[in-house]
Amino acid sequence: MSVLSFRCLAAAACVALGVAILEATAGPAEVAQIKPRQDKLRDMGGALKAINDELKKGRIDWDNTVVPNAQTLKDRSAYLLNWFPKGSGPESGAKTYSLPAIWQNNEDFVTLGKVAQVEAAKLNQVAISKDANALKAQLEAMGKACKACHDRYRSPDYAKENDD
Amino acid sequence: MTSSDVSRLESAFADTTDLRVWDLPVRAMHWSLAIAIGVCWWTGLHNELEYHLYSGYAILWIVLMRLYWGVVGSSTARFVNFVRGPKAILDYASTLHRRDTPHTNGHNALGAVSIVLMVGLILAVVILGLFAVDVDGLYSGPLSIYVTFKQGRHLAHLHYHGFNILLWVIALHLAAVIFYFIYKRQNLIGPMIHGKRRVEAAEACDAEMKIAPLWRFAIGGVVVTAIVYAVSIGFYF
Repeated sequence: MSVLSFRCLAAAACVALGVAILEATAGPAEVAQIKPRQDKLRDMGGALKAINDELKKGRIDWDNTVVPNAQTLKDRSAYLLNWFPKGSGPESGAKTYSLPAIWQNNEDFVTLGKVAQVEAAKLNQVAISKDANALKAQLEAMGKACKACHDRYRSPDYAKENDD
Repeated sequence: MTSSDVSRLESAFADTTDLRVWDLPVRAMHWSLAIAIGVCWWTGLHNELEYHLYSGYAILWIVLMRLYWGVVGSSTARFVNFVRGPKAILDYASTLHRRDTPHTNGHNALGAVSIVLMVGLILAVVILGLFAVDVDGLYSGPLSIYVTFKQGRHLAHLHYHGFNILLWVIALHLAAVIFYFIYKRQNLIGPMIHGKRRVEAAEACDAEMKIAPLWRFAIGGVVVTAIVYAVSIGFYF
């Protein structure tokens, strides 16, 4: 057997193994939610950070940074609660930081999600009003709404590898 | 009783004296660093990042002051007096199993390695923390404005892993202190609290610590406070 054909065989074996693993773990459509919801939540984290950074820099660029990022937070948060269908937790076998408690205490989870939506809407209002003091207060309220849910329903990720 | 017995008895009852081995800044920095690291550990694990930031600044201040004191401080605090080459370290390590080795005034050659390792690791972990971004984007490090959310999250993970390594080195430090206490019958904790060690008078003469004046510490304190403040506002004045 030539080296080349051995390589082809090895590559085919790897692909077959990969497909087998994918089929074993990725089953229901709910799992398909996990990756996009991570991407969207990361965007929201990035949006909040971008506004926070403006405050830290002490010269706030309302039109280019604060307003669009507040809009992102408001828009994304409106769909927040749709991203967590039952079956998209760790029991799916996919890599996720979502804790099973999301579905065990779902009422509380939904309440926290709605608080986040309200705070994001308020943040959007403040961004449009361009009031720096109000922005400062509302950013904290927004961050705390994120934190409230993360503290209860997101597994502490530091022990795991990078979440990308 | 022969005359040689008498002289032995005399030396046994010979004057002992308190030899100063650690000055006040070294002791204060040691214990406040231990407390600040404890606070950072707890607040980090419990996502209490507002207080984690404050205790992190405290650690940065202490470590920078220790580096400064390692240059201009009292004799036992200065790096030139305790950081040794590989030969001295190996020589010291080869006597580790013996129980009759004399006390070192200040850090011994092997202890110096652990000091340099701990100070270096603490500084590295703190610097990573300055750039780290928390998952909520709420209490990020003051220098995180210079990185993206994703980079900052990655640095937060490195911050965590670096701290885990630090915990092992601290565990080794504690194990060494216990080893000296039980096996070598040398109490290292007492001197780190009150600064003194009981020695025979004869031994004290040649080993006296040169104490640096406290005003020198105060000058460093002002400068380091300014540096930590500048860092805490991300150099945006």
